[in-house]
Amino acid sequence: MIDCIVIGGGAGGLAAAIEIKRLGHNVLLIEREDKLGGILNQCIHNGFGLEIFKEEYTGPEYADKYIKLFLREKINYLIDTTVIDLYKEEDIFIVKTSSETLGIREYKSKSICLSTGSYERTRGQISIPGDRPYGVITAGSAQRYINIDGYMTGKRVFILGSGDIGLIMARRMTLEGAKVLGVAEIMPYSNGLNRNIVQCLNDFDIPLYLSHTVTNIKADDSNHLKEIRVMKVDDSFNVIKDTEIDFQVDTLLLSVGLIPDIILLDQLDVEIDPLTKSVKVDQSNQTSIEGLFVCGNALQIHDLVDNVSKESQRTGKAIDLYLRNTNHSNKKISFIPGVNIAYLTPQYIDFSNPNEKVVVSFRPKKKIEKSLLKVIQNDRIVYEKKKMFLLPAEMETIELDILHFDENQPITLELEVIS
Amino acid sequence: MIKEYICIVCPRGCRVNVDENLNVSGNQCQRGKTYALNEMKSPTRILTTTIKTTFQDMPRVSCKTDKAIPKSLLFAAMKIINQMTIDKSMYIGDIVIENILDTGANVVLTKSIKESTNEEIYFSD
Amino acid sequence: MYDYIIIGAGVIGSAVARELSKYQVKVLCLEKENDVANVQTLANSAIIHAGHNPEPGSLKARLSLWGNLLYDDLERELNIPLLRTGAFVVAHGKEEEKDLDKYVKICKENKVPGYQLLSGQQARKIERNLAGSITKVLSLPSTKVTNPWEVAFALMENAIENGVKLKLNHRVTKIIKENDFYLVEVNHHINFKTKNIINAGGVASDDIGQMIEIPPFKIKGRKGEYYVLDKRNIGFINHVIYPLPSERGKGVLLTPQVHGEILIGPSSEFVDDKHQASTTQKGLEYVKEHSKELAKNIPYNQIIRSFAGIRSTSTYDDFYIQESKYNKGFYYLGGIESPGLTAAPAIAKYLINDVIGVQNHYLINNQFKPYRKAKVEFHRLPLNDQKRLLEIEPKYGKIICKCEKITEKEIIDAIHGLLGTHTIKGIKKRVRAGAGICQGGYCEEKVMKILARELNLDPLDIIYDKDNSKLFLSESKVEK
Repeated sequence: MIDCIVIGGGAGGLAAAIEIKRLGHNVLLIEREDKLGGILNQCIHNGFGLEIFKEEYTGPEYADKYIKLFLREKINYLIDTTVIDLYKEEDIFIVKTSSETLGIREYKSKSICLSTGSYERTRGQISIPGDRPYGVITAGSAQRYINIDGYMTGKRVFILGSGDIGLIMARRMTLEGAKVLGVAEIMPYSNGLNRNIVQCLNDFDIPLYLSHTVTNIKADDSNHLKEIRVMKVDDSFNVIKDTEIDFQVDTLLLSVGLIPDIILLDQLDVEIDPLTKSVKVDQSNQTSIEGLFVCGNALQIHDLVDNVSKESQRTGKAIDLYLRNTNHSNKKISFIPGVNIAYLTPQYIDFSNPNEKVVVSFRPKKKIEKSLLKVIQNDRIVYEKKKMFLLPAEMETIELDILHFDENQPITLELEVIS
Repeated sequence: MIKEYICIVCPRGCRVNVDENLNVSGNQCQRGKTYALNEMKSPTRILTTTIKTTFQDMPRVSCKTDKAIPKSLLFAAMKIINQMTIDKSMYIGDIVIENILDTGANVVLTKSIKESTNEEIYFSD
Repeated sequence: MYDYIIIGAGVIGSAVARELSKYQVKVLCLEKENDVANVQTLANSAIIHAGHNPEPGSLKARLSLWGNLLYDDLERELNIPLLRTGAFVVAHGKEEEKDLDKYVKICKENKVPGYQLLSGQQARKIERNLAGSITKVLSLPSTKVTNPWEVAFALMENAIENGVKLKLNHRVTKIIKENDFYLVEVNHHINFKTKNIINAGGVASDDIGQMIEIPPFKIKGRKGEYYVLDKRNIGFINHVIYPLPSERGKGVLLTPQVHGEILIGPSSEFVDDKHQASTTQKGLEYVKEHSKELAKNIPYNQIIRSFAGIRSTSTYDDFYIQESKYNKGFYYLGGIESPGLTAAPAIAKYLINDVIGVQNHYLINNQFKPYRKAKVEFHRLPLNDQKRLLEIEPKYGKIICKCEKITEKEIIDAIHGLLGTHTIKGIKKRVRAGAGICQGGYCEEKVMKILARELNLDPLDIIYDKDNSKLFLSESKVEK
């Protein structure tokens, strides 16, 4: 019997597996690609590791650090192996895998750490009207094609959405000789980090069209992208007449959001948070199913990989505690996103282990210059802190002391805008 | 002529203006001033890109300049890097181009390249 | 010299091809697209209607009622997917209930099996998400859904196995009538001789008629736009939900699909360019608005795709299935819009037996094999079968599309099958790789590489769907 099966060998899975193994448990990590490192492998730009290593690395370098640690721990792992089924029988998790070399196998485990990352929102999910040509492609797919496979989808590019991958790809494609004609963002502010706006767009004079979106797509005779139409939107995102700008492009990159990939949990009756589009967890990142832990982008979308590593390491520690404690009492209360909070994790606070700090992650609903962050229970402010320059593009974390709370009442987190 | 820079030193993102006499305004702290002046006088960037290889399962390998190079040289550096092809096993951190364009920066691999298993890639150095 | 040339390899052309292959005839099917079932058959509601709509006595009524029954044979013989959903036609309030009675009458005259009226409450007991404003429901238990292009593939594959020849990328450019045969010119330079022509050209059927005469009808393109709801909403509704039909057709429907998604649509709008199926803001909003009359709380945040299709509405009021009045041996299958998919197998039989009377001129093909082996859908097999197959073919173990759990071997088979493919879209049509929630975000690159390897192509030559819809413009770092 395996103590913990870690599903996914990217930033999250590696950090969690290393921690669990170091704390003395036997771990099996399962990765579907033929290499460890996950999406970091295609993120060849720099900016990773400042928080953890105090040094700036590229994605592959950051991955390399963790892969070396992982391999030194002699952790069992499978690559080129896809988990096709995950379910629980009594107290045991059954993980069914499929691979070319081993065929279909079943592994039994006491706990699961799901770190399967995220997938990109596609054109279909945002329903851009028009033809359905090739050349409309998610930024991450284009990134893989260009950085790993060495293929350019086109030479005249427009980007919809100012998410970080889109901005990074604007620079990347420009450096590789493409002309990036602009980036349209439906919100009145950028969804990417300031640094990326400056170094990926401004450096190359690529215009950013805020409060704009793509309203039509045209194909040529061979069903390849020929032209897109961009229009301005009002405060309720309705397009404003006579604001059309047409761009002749062969590539439209979509950078319109990431969604936690928890498809594997379909078979399990696990509680979902519509705000994060992932599972609800307590502060140990345990889901409503005992022994099932989720971390990394599968839990919530991060903008810094360092935070993924930290969160996953914490999850690893929590799994250790779970494996040591045979008696799992569940004394949970709800932790609720209040005014100006887009979402938060954990959605529950578990009081069965009171000697710990709770790390809370959240994003504001809008750009807020000055705010008072308040944690409220029973109409009483339990915790309060001034917060400056909050942006939806940047995930915030705070630490709360569990001792300050009453074990019976729900807790709310809110942001009061102050001037 | 006044140039505007978005400061990226902290999340505040001040819009800092610098005029031709190098007077700085709009910054809310000293670091913003230093940043803007630097951006005006000699902006530099780390260049990250890929290099062609002859390895079938890894046709491109990632690389970077190990120091920031002048922003104005990014495309010239790309041109040189694009002419390279790697045809032998190399490791992360290995120098591929020394002192590119006399910038003092080397182009180094950010990933190892070898036709072998994970372990061999990570432990032969 | 061919006995029959079929123009068009949609579901109708494919059904006709298979029906003809039951006789000792030489048949060629010409398709302008680079795949079977690429136009109308690729974009419709996928419903095998019960028959509550067509005018009693019309060909539409007769052939769709008959076609509905024939689908059970197709399921048995060709292993097509078929879901027996039943359908609800819904009415809101007294006014609409009166209208509903009209369709009860049609059901009676058309002899629709098992139809009955339910109160809104009774219906909501069966379909809990039905809109609260619905007061009365006409239940049609014989309604089914299928996958239209899988039906066309099955029919065409079986036809090919029984001797029919299919040529893709063969656009008919001219038809010349000689004394007792036709000369069919393709792509402006290849000529085929045939005694008879069957015009199953769909939206282009009038243009093909125009090549030898003034056609008896004109085709007007009627666009329908749809949303697709992710399959994880399976069970949101289990019946096909129709509003009351109007002059704009059957209206916006909710249709559970055989692979678990739910289709919402279509809109209905006549368009000038019948070859242009693009979605519009207006059309999609129309669909969203009208779908609210059918069910409450449709999870629009779980849409994975939207698309549009063109229906070939003819100026003739019914299916036009006749021999040309001026050119003997030239047969029209015109205006085959809804319920065309339902009627397809019956249309083929009606044309072959009643209109042409092939049995009077040709011998029966005693070698005809009616059965087609089901393709392997690996992840649906019992574990023992999976393990047995894996011993012979380890590539069944390699998952390529993780959303739909499609293995490398299934993709390889789709590439090299009887109706093989060389396009990303062709793979998606055949095995559903890329049809799931990430819409190919994960597997497209892998499918591209498998196509390149299996067909010995440079990735630069891999295409998405149409010829020249290349995935890549160039390699990176290579001047072009």
